[in-house]
Amino acid sequence: MRKPTDRSSIWTSVALCVFTVLLALVTQAAPTRLIDGISVMPTWPLMAIFLWSGLRPHFMPPIVIFAIGLAQDLLTGAPMGVWALSYLVALAVCRFRGEDGMPRDLPPVLLRFGATLLLAHGIAFAAGSFALEQMADLQLLIIELAATMLMFPLLAFLALRNRRPGRSGFIGG
Amino acid sequence: MATRRSTRHDGEQGVRFSRTVFIALLVLSCALIAFDRPQSRSDTFARIRAGFTDLTAPVLELAAQPLRAIKNIGPYFRRQGELAQENADLRQQLIEARYWEDLAYRQRDRIEIYEDALNVDTPATQDRIGAWTVADPRGPFVRARLIGRGAQSGIEDGYPVINLYGLVGRVYETGRHSARVLLLTDLNSRIPVMADRSNARAILVGDNSPYPRLEYVGRAPDIQPGDRIVSSGDDGILPRGLPVGEAVATREGGWRVRLYSDQAPIDFVWVWPYRRVTPPDEEVSTDEAGLLDPEEAGPATAEPVAEAAPAGADSGDEEGGATVDPEAQP
Repeated sequence: MRKPTDRSSIWTSVALCVFTVLLALVTQAAPTRLIDGISVMPTWPLMAIFLWSGLRPHFMPPIVIFAIGLAQDLLTGAPMGVWALSYLVALAVCRFRGEDGMPRDLPPVLLRFGATLLLAHGIAFAAGSFALEQMADLQLLIIELAATMLMFPLLAFLALRNRRPGRSGFIGG
Repeated sequence: MATRRSTRHDGEQGVRFSRTVFIALLVLSCALIAFDRPQSRSDTFARIRAGFTDLTAPVLELAAQPLRAIKNIGPYFRRQGELAQENADLRQQLIEARYWEDLAYRQRDRIEIYEDALNVDTPATQDRIGAWTVADPRGPFVRARLIGRGAQSGIEDGYPVINLYGLVGRVYETGRHSARVLLLTDLNSRIPVMADRSNARAILVGDNSPYPRLEYVGRAPDIQPGDRIVSSGDDGILPRGLPVGEAVATREGGWRVRLYSDQAPIDFVWVWPYRRVTPPDEEVSTDEAGLLDPEEAGPATAEPVAEAAPAGADSGDEEGGATVDPEAQP
């Protein structure tokens, strides 16, 4: 039987997960160009999906990843299914497997996220170009990719810092 | 064994990724991509998209509030040193603007007299619908803005959208309380334009760059760098004379346009409920075929307007472009 504190901890995590994902989606669509000079937008939803699928894998089943991707498609005006497909495939290929889940060290997390990011944007580029019937903006995609990779270490550091050690029973896991 | 257990159980650290659900979602995603193409989007998909933007518009509006509050921080600090010069320039512009203001009033009065005489019912400039930008997603696939007004405010697909400086784009997805504006820089944007000086026609084609291309200009186009580019109204969807930008020559020998609307952040825009004035030849031919709805026929045709327009009224069409369609001229 779970202690009440555990239950409240789970609900706190659920609330935090929902909040961060919604925040990521809204930020992705926010009119940041109103602020002079800021126009490059990292792929916030992918960061949220990746971190939560590593920290709390049961919060990020395929249907949730699909829903987040679809919401991003609809919010950004992209053809429906582009980001949904790319997130689904990228996470299916690159997610952390096994009982260790996401490691507590930053470098392997960054490496795995880099692979996820590349795969997701590659699929999005192909699927988007197919839907638009012309080549999507590769330059902007690369800028977005670089901005995401630059921004991710900070979030990953914050996420990993609060991770309790020894939960999985593995040293460093 | 450990791997097998970890993939099937949803324990604290196990990853649950059901293969059946995963494949079903993959198929669904592919189907959506195949059927939700911008060029051949069905009404059902358009309704779904518009419904979703309607739902999210209030949240996005809320998120945009703090951004609007701090939007001028950058320009404010950068321009502190230029304020005196800018002030002097503005005074000079104000003096010059007085002349144009008088001219605009005279033109308006003249147009009103013509409209009364000919019983022409056209949307006035005061009918423009103001709207705030609530979302400005920047992605590789589409350059669009979401505005916080929709069909309930009278907005429909295809209406031109302008800001203080010039044409921004066109409405292409209209919900009840929100609408999406396709920017001139988007890959799918095609606008018939002309040089204000020479009337040289071209198509403004968006390519996701800040400077859209001018295409179909001919072999020896009568365009010069710095020429004012305005909408030509040739498609009948946009009014004639909406300011678009300035012609810029490229190194490759082509032409691009520096958009006027980029002079300031596009946070507040006007949607112009423009309706095309049916050219008389189309009207007659449709009428003869017995297909014309008497209510749609309207009280007047554009032919007399075009005939009655005074010589040199071309330059005064910018604001009154909605009243006379150049295509209506015989």
